[in-house]
Amino acid sequence: MPQIITVALAGNPNAGKTTLFNAFTGARQHVGNWPGVTVEKKEGSLRHRDREIHVVDLPGTYSLTAYSLEEIIARTFIVESPPDVVVAVVDASNLERNLYLAVQLLEMGAKVVMALNMIDVAQGRNIHIDVPTLSQLLGIPVIPTNGKKRIGIDELLDEIVNQSDGSGLALDTTRIRYGTEVEEEITKVEETLSKPGTVFRRPSNRWLAVKLLESDPDMAKKLEDERGYETVMEQVTESRRHLTDIFADPPEIILTDARYGFISGAMKQSVRVDHVDRVHWSESIDRVLTDRLLGPIILLCVLYAVYVFVFQGSEPLVSLLELLFKWMGNAFEAVLPEGLLRSLVVNGIIDGVGGVIRFTPLIAFMFLAIAFLEDTGYMARIAFMLDRVLRGFGLHGASMLALLVSGGLAGGCAVPGIMATRTMKEPKERLVTILVAPLMNCGAKLPVYALLIGAFFSGRQAPMMFLLTIISWSLALLASKVIRSTVLAGPSAPFVLELPPYRVPTLKGLLIHTWERTWMYLKKAGTVILAISVILWAMMTFPQLSHERVQSYDRQKAQLTENFLSRPDVGSFFKSEEDLEAFEKIRTQRSSRGVGKNEQTPSKLRELNAAVEWIEKKKGSAGVNEDGKLVARVAEAYLTYNEKKLALESALRRERLSNTVAGWVGMKLEWVFSPMGFDWKTIVALVGGFAAKEVVVSTMGTAYSLGSVDPKEAGSLSDQLKNEPGWNPLKAFTLILFVMLYAPCFVTLVVIRRETGKWRWAFFATAYTTMLAYCVAVLVHTAGSFLGLGLS
Amino acid sequence: MSPTPALEKCADCPALADEECLVDRMVKLSSLKPGQKGTIRQVCGDPDFRLRMMEMGFIRGTEVQVIKYAPLSDPIELVVKGYHITLRREQASDILMDQPEKAA
Repeated sequence: MPQIITVALAGNPNAGKTTLFNAFTGARQHVGNWPGVTVEKKEGSLRHRDREIHVVDLPGTYSLTAYSLEEIIARTFIVESPPDVVVAVVDASNLERNLYLAVQLLEMGAKVVMALNMIDVAQGRNIHIDVPTLSQLLGIPVIPTNGKKRIGIDELLDEIVNQSDGSGLALDTTRIRYGTEVEEEITKVEETLSKPGTVFRRPSNRWLAVKLLESDPDMAKKLEDERGYETVMEQVTESRRHLTDIFADPPEIILTDARYGFISGAMKQSVRVDHVDRVHWSESIDRVLTDRLLGPIILLCVLYAVYVFVFQGSEPLVSLLELLFKWMGNAFEAVLPEGLLRSLVVNGIIDGVGGVIRFTPLIAFMFLAIAFLEDTGYMARIAFMLDRVLRGFGLHGASMLALLVSGGLAGGCAVPGIMATRTMKEPKERLVTILVAPLMNCGAKLPVYALLIGAFFSGRQAPMMFLLTIISWSLALLASKVIRSTVLAGPSAPFVLELPPYRVPTLKGLLIHTWERTWMYLKKAGTVILAISVILWAMMTFPQLSHERVQSYDRQKAQLTENFLSRPDVGSFFKSEEDLEAFEKIRTQRSSRGVGKNEQTPSKLRELNAAVEWIEKKKGSAGVNEDGKLVARVAEAYLTYNEKKLALESALRRERLSNTVAGWVGMKLEWVFSPMGFDWKTIVALVGGFAAKEVVVSTMGTAYSLGSVDPKEAGSLSDQLKNEPGWNPLKAFTLILFVMLYAPCFVTLVVIRRETGKWRWAFFATAYTTMLAYCVAVLVHTAGSFLGLGLS
Repeated sequence: MSPTPALEKCADCPALADEECLVDRMVKLSSLKPGQKGTIRQVCGDPDFRLRMMEMGFIRGTEVQVIKYAPLSDPIELVVKGYHITLRREQASDILMDQPEKAA
């Protein structure tokens, strides 16, 4: 009696395996309608009847041949680390095909308990299943369940405990017979496997013999190093030839046929379908949603609606967080003494991390929308409708999942997107999907877009995002077309995709899914981005300018002030530097609280202030001097002085920043980026973006707040950019495109390496995307400047 | 669709004996119209594809119904063994069917 019972959940995609897993463990996991979303191994624990049960969720597969990576993962787990009980989760409304996997589990000799899931759906479709008969025919316990409503869960757990204790129904694993000829050959191979000197293999020699006869590449490879391998393979080759001669088909086909034969026998005895003419509602909906004419139109509307929902829905929350971080910045500024610590906290951490975190609501809304499309089953229809288009570019309908998750609907992430390509068996299509996935508008790029769109294209958020989606898709398709006809030339592989019935998603499922992905985003902001913000802050602060240089600026400034004050006409307004400071205070108050209403202000200074304002408003001095009025002349002189002083301060800031490591790097690279019109601050941000794209925003936040004219007066980064000289809609748009396309982030590169097995592909992805980004940005910048678009 | 689809398919479908290839009243799945049903005679193509299709339920003698074609006339939506699946025309032409009954 094992202390802890290990249970593996196996089942087809869309069989409700994940829902059942959640019902068991309450663990957070994604429930989707897309075939093959569960790639990772999910685990959870629960207690039932005082027993500890450990549940492992295997990837959803249709079979246990070595067709896809997921099938190998699931199979290897059952063979190599045998669970005490395997729960075969089958969709009762789609029993026949679902039983195929269950039969394969039985063949492996695992202790199988069948969860006849979605029993309510089957009943709704007039499918009547005689559970005791089915259980008897298969030789395993069968429990009708409904994961969503937690029906049958306790019974299932009871049965799991019974089976693991050996007190349940006795199992007969040799129930499936393949007919005399096949059985003879299985026995022959089995004998060679159990010859003395060979190692006993799990789960049974019979199973292994069957797999070898099916010419399973994975199994043959595993046996390669063992003694007697040649003898075994000789027999296998001989048996395969013999069977192929008799049946005119290779054994894997005959065995598959036989399994389905067994299943249809069992189905005939235990399942009755009352035929109804009524069309199922899922099919009526589908008729409209994938209609020849309406389908594509609805698709575009749905995608557009997603943007409107995401951007308009999240806007109030984003503004709220923005206010919160501004308040935090001010609070720390008030508490901390001026110096490096304050700069680190306010400019480095709050501006950096805050810049990323305030977009969390936006990301969460996008994840919610994607989860909705997945869980309803619409995502599969998108692939159905678009496969023809994708194929033209050397992609695959199944690439759609990967590209959508990567950010095909802005807000995904290339990391799970690339992992989702594991469901694709076709090596070339899979590789090209991996390579173009980073071009999609992932969630990390959204803050950059949101910032720049907010600053330069405000009020046009949804259409802009729509446009960016179209651009990123066009370029991704173009890139894959080029890659598929050069680096990865070759014919396209078959496209086989299940179209699951439409389902009403559960709120709980949607929220769990959204929360999981959002939490990942927040975790990233709290760790990687925090670290990078601090590093980049340091790069933008050190080394500090030498004391002599700072003093030299101070001296120049003092000289300037002295010259101004020594003017005879000025003397009647400003007797000393204190007067000048007082005047400057009035001017600051004016800009922040309206015209100086302070009663204590000397009337002379108020008069001067009015004159200065008047000149500023007129933006010219013509005519003023001719009045000969003293106050006008002084105002004029003051403005000239002020301008020189600001220029001096700005030169100091520039020297200070350019003296730092970041400045050095940025300026060294300026010649590379100048054809796109990027200044060195943007370049530093882009370099930081290699680590994670969100960093582009946080770095710009730090760079511009460190270098801003008056840090205390600076509004949000987007206001700052709007007022920054040299920034215009064209530059913003160019930057958006560059960020969209250039080098995948570091995490993505690691995943590309892992999924393709070669660093070569990660380097290739970096090189081609950066080149593409450069070309597009230069083109847009040049064309825009030439045509005079978006310059003001 | 061409009237002699089975013939040209024979070369790629070694499982079919020659005389079977010539049997009339056999059509490609891709030539079925929306709503039409047919019974699978043989799945052709490379071994991997054949096995995959069979595992998904495309077994000799199984009834298949064409539901619709995608907006760009490709891929095809089918019902087999009670569930919906989509294939490209190219793959559907590797599946040989008995002459279907007329659409209801």
